[in-house]
Amino acid sequence: MPNPILENIRRSLERSGQSGSIPLPTVLPARQAGEFDAETGLFMEELRKIGGAAQCLPAGGVSEALRMLVGTEAIHKAVLWRTPGLLELHIPEILEETGVTLVPAGAAPSSLAECDLGITEADFALPETGSLGLFSSPEKPRAVSLLPRIHLAIVRPQAFRPDLHQVFAEARRQPYLVLITGPSRTSDIELTLTLGVHGPQKLVAWIIEEE
Amino acid sequence: MSGETPGYIGFGEYSQHVPHSIPSAVKQATDRFVGTRAARVAEIDQWEELRQIGSDIRQHTLENLDRYLETLEARVTEAGGQVHWASSAEDARQAVLQIARDRQVRSVVKAKSMATEEIGLNHALEAAGIRTLETDLGEYIIQLAGMGPSHIIVPAVHLKKEEIAALFREKLGVDAPADPVELTRIARERLRHEFLTADMGISGANFLVAETGTLVMVTNEGNGRMCTTLPDLHVAVVGIDKVVPDWESLTVLLKLLSRSATGQKITTYTQFITGPRRAEGESGPKEFHLVLLDNGRSRILADPVGRQVFKCIRCGACANVCPVYKNVGGYAYGWFISGPIGAILSPQMLDTQVARELPYASTLCGACAEVCPVKIPIPTILRHLRHRMAQGDEFGSPALPAPVGAAARMTSLALSRSWIYRLGTRLLPFATALLRRDGWLKTLPYPLSRWTSVRPLPAFGARFRQWWKARVRSENG
Amino acid sequence: MPTVQLFITCLGDQFYTGTLQNMVRILERLGVEVTFPAEQTCCGQPLFNNGFDDQARPVARAWLHAFSQSSAPVVGPSGSCISMVKHHYPELFPPGSPEHHLASDLAARSFEFTEYLVRELGVTDLGACYPHRVTYHSACHYLRELGLREEARLLLNAIQGLEYIPLQEEDTCCGFGGAFSVTFPDVSRVMMENKVQNIIASGADTVVTCEPGCLMNIAGGLRKAGSNVRAAHIIDLLASTGETA
Repeated sequence: MPNPILENIRRSLERSGQSGSIPLPTVLPARQAGEFDAETGLFMEELRKIGGAAQCLPAGGVSEALRMLVGTEAIHKAVLWRTPGLLELHIPEILEETGVTLVPAGAAPSSLAECDLGITEADFALPETGSLGLFSSPEKPRAVSLLPRIHLAIVRPQAFRPDLHQVFAEARRQPYLVLITGPSRTSDIELTLTLGVHGPQKLVAWIIEEE
Repeated sequence: MSGETPGYIGFGEYSQHVPHSIPSAVKQATDRFVGTRAARVAEIDQWEELRQIGSDIRQHTLENLDRYLETLEARVTEAGGQVHWASSAEDARQAVLQIARDRQVRSVVKAKSMATEEIGLNHALEAAGIRTLETDLGEYIIQLAGMGPSHIIVPAVHLKKEEIAALFREKLGVDAPADPVELTRIARERLRHEFLTADMGISGANFLVAETGTLVMVTNEGNGRMCTTLPDLHVAVVGIDKVVPDWESLTVLLKLLSRSATGQKITTYTQFITGPRRAEGESGPKEFHLVLLDNGRSRILADPVGRQVFKCIRCGACANVCPVYKNVGGYAYGWFISGPIGAILSPQMLDTQVARELPYASTLCGACAEVCPVKIPIPTILRHLRHRMAQGDEFGSPALPAPVGAAARMTSLALSRSWIYRLGTRLLPFATALLRRDGWLKTLPYPLSRWTSVRPLPAFGARFRQWWKARVRSENG
Repeated sequence: MPTVQLFITCLGDQFYTGTLQNMVRILERLGVEVTFPAEQTCCGQPLFNNGFDDQARPVARAWLHAFSQSSAPVVGPSGSCISMVKHHYPELFPPGSPEHHLASDLAARSFEFTEYLVRELGVTDLGACYPHRVTYHSACHYLRELGLREEARLLLNAIQGLEYIPLQEEDTCCGFGGAFSVTFPDVSRVMMENKVQNIIASGADTVVTCEPGCLMNIAGGLRKAGSNVRAAHIIDLLASTGETA
């Protein structure tokens, strides 16, 4: 079936007589990965600059850190991604031990909205901007990094990528990706920066050190 | 066709009565963004190369737009989305209304989308009895206030926190203190319930990637994610000019966009959405509709100079440096888009009073072209639009009043014939002798009174030619 | 001995005889022979900028005719006029036409005055003396179309006794914009007032620029504001020997 918009476009481009002269340019080459400690250092520095919290811990330190987080942030309800990485760290058990109610990942959004804490595992981490990349699936609901008051992201070393180029090379075939850089923010009222608008008010990233 | 803001009085007329609060607030915003942009640009050694690549990507895409749109449609459809083609603003409104009617939508949450403002979508939805809520904080505020945006990025910047608190007290019935953190918290709570119960989420897009049929949204607040994740139905209204060829192009354009717009390296949330959710039990909308909006874009593509306006990635950097925009604010431009980009877009899309004035409301200073991340030659296009209005071309007939054309022809005659020019030069000092005061002319007849009402003109005093002649004579003895 | 053709510009002709005379004196002191094609009128910029291309062409032709009688370079005291010749004259005539050829030839040998001094003659110190507090307005076309960022400053810095004061929003448009000043006088007014306020706030007693149009606007604005700050073309300071203000 003929499409009038495409027809109009073709006609206009012919009329203008000057089309097709510019080829798609090559973009600048991707940044190369630095040494791992430097990359994680840069990531944490950038995330802190924009109001996020970041630290490096060994896998064994997650339990204590999580207990502390639950205490300082008054966490009553939490939801987490159902990924092997998070289960390996015994996060559900630790939360239950601290008296936090676990809301199932597949629960309705209204239940997720009542959660104080949402825990995910980053698919990507970008050092230059302190950004996290998260895919989506039934085990990795988007709402977990969106609705709760605090978003905690566990970052494994293998999630690190030097640049968007590398992230895109892998993500282009996926149906969904969100890049998260810091807590939600606005300057709409008199240019005053306010953190925590509609998305999470706090973003915490824990980089799990290799054994 | 969607038209001007109701009650629009013309750029010139508006500029005589600009409420003081607007330029002073706008200037605070623009100064802030100019500063943060400069800091981010200085961090990138290859900024000028990036600009050129960004410009070439956009130019290439426009020159091959039909191909890329076809690929985009195929990929979106494969991903399970539905594509609707809207030739006019009315077609776009009808497409959205039809989807809403088919799904018995009663409430809508909207992410910030200039395309939806362009087509006046909110008004159409409200008229159909569908509750439509803007969720971007600035847009939410001006929606409550019933006003238009004063700045592309921070639409409510002209309102003081006291005014916003009063607005919340009046419209929301809450006890609202004049504190941005508290006001934001109130909006967060109010809108959270709306996000969770709305039947449909409407968004725009910053980019549409043809390669995979992916919609890219660049945001900071989280409402964009809410609108496109929580309701079961997601409808995106996007101009056909937003297409980019592939993900590689995004690496350049995303870098250029956030640094140019708000001076951020990257915004808080960048989403890449390809079709509706794929699996039961996954969060995200069940249905995804993409309304591709033409509304004059395909027509404008025929003008090789004017169409460069569609390279625009909506960063607002041009407005932030424009001395005209800073002194009048967004309302003077009479449509959803203001600043230098508005001055070259509106006249090409609309045929209204604003269309006739905007190309002239500029000194052609060139500050905008220096900062445009995709190198749109705005002053060149402004002049080109003036040319089209003065003399007409294959795109339209002359649109200036006859006396202006006559004055131009007379000026041309006087300036191209040396004897007429020199005669005039000799006569002007005599003709204005009586008006001369202390080396200045404080009043002059119309139209030069428009100059002298603002500041005096130096007295006419051309003596160089006589001096030169005398010199030559004395040298030759 | 190099020779140049003087392009006095229509505004220079009407209002700035003294500046034009100083331009001649400076060039001759530097050993440059100066000629003046008397047939010249205006570069046609006001018509071109407002889209009257058909009306600008005869004016451009007349200009090209006046200045093509000699092969010497053209020098003028206005960034916008020289930019008109350099960048827009070739655009006005179809490639391959004799006018286009002429325009391209003249475009290549036309210079703004400070551009000629600094870039062509390699001169920044003219032995001038002007013991005053001086600030500088960077004119839009001079800056952005000709790319002249530092030339004026280099020349000012070499003037004996001159104390240079940076101007806040130095490169923000003064609001002249040619016809803009009469088509949108209210916006022009606000822009001019901003510029004047910045100049007064700088504490300088003189403001210089390299553009007769800006000069008219700023001088008028200072006068309207009741200010004693002198607005001058840079040429007048460069010709100054310190004996007169």
